[in-house]
Amino acid sequence: MTTATRTGTTMRHTLTTPTDRTIRVERIFDATRDRVWRAYTEPALVAQWWGRGNTLVIEKMEVQRGGHWRYVEHTPDGETHGFEGRYREVTPQDRIVRTFEWDGMPGHTILETVELTDLGDGRTRVVGTSLFFTPEERDGMLHSGMEGGMAQSYEALDRLLAERRDR
Amino acid sequence: MVQYSSDLDTVFTAVADGTRRGILERLGRREASISELAEQFEMTLTGMKKHVQLLEDAGLVRTQKIGRVRTCMLGTRRLTAEAAWIARYHQMLEAQLDSLGEFLERTKGDQP
Repeated sequence: MTTATRTGTTMRHTLTTPTDRTIRVERIFDATRDRVWRAYTEPALVAQWWGRGNTLVIEKMEVQRGGHWRYVEHTPDGETHGFEGRYREVTPQDRIVRTFEWDGMPGHTILETVELTDLGDGRTRVVGTSLFFTPEERDGMLHSGMEGGMAQSYEALDRLLAERRDR
Repeated sequence: MVQYSSDLDTVFTAVADGTRRGILERLGRREASISELAEQFEMTLTGMKKHVQLLEDAGLVRTQKIGRVRTCMLGTRRLTAEAAWIARYHQMLEAQLDSLGEFLERTKGDQP
């Protein structure tokens, strides 16, 4: 690991997490890839696990590139938390990339990637990678989007992601 | 920056507790003495000292003793709220995968 100061002004923020703001989680489930895929993409199924026991209201879930999603979680002690974002990539049975924002931390966008691997013995590996952006970085991305359209904005994001992967 | 990467666990532990998150929020508004915090969070001085120590170890809070009063303020880590959020998000992600595992077990055989 090197520090994030190699390129660009947007990567210079002091960070308090490992690998500068990337979180990786992994699990192997004793379930076919199709079942796991459906658990991630069918609203009725998502509602049964995503809330970790809390009531989950799925207000919107358009599982396709550019589609919006918004979930509202209700905790037993009466708290309400809204989460939302946009799907950036949906490759059936394989990969979902979407942005994630919690109402309580507006502007702190997370880019979530979930990848499924069929292990061939009825089990499926799930790898989740989450990349955090500060509001400054996100605003920079939005700004570039306004200047040159969404395609360029995505390209900028791709470059940023590639740079981070390289490290 | 590098020295921060190894101690996410410390930050995580520090903000995993509701009282400590409350202390951070409180100090974000204004500095406070240990006894003020103890009173506000309705706990003993000893209990509050332990919480503050954990937060201090994580770099989220720093303290300064002036005379007989130890004053607590937010630490040198400027992204306190963000660090807390990242830790909470990480915790949520792990819990979600546990929950997904339980769901998949529960519904085994339900679908073709």
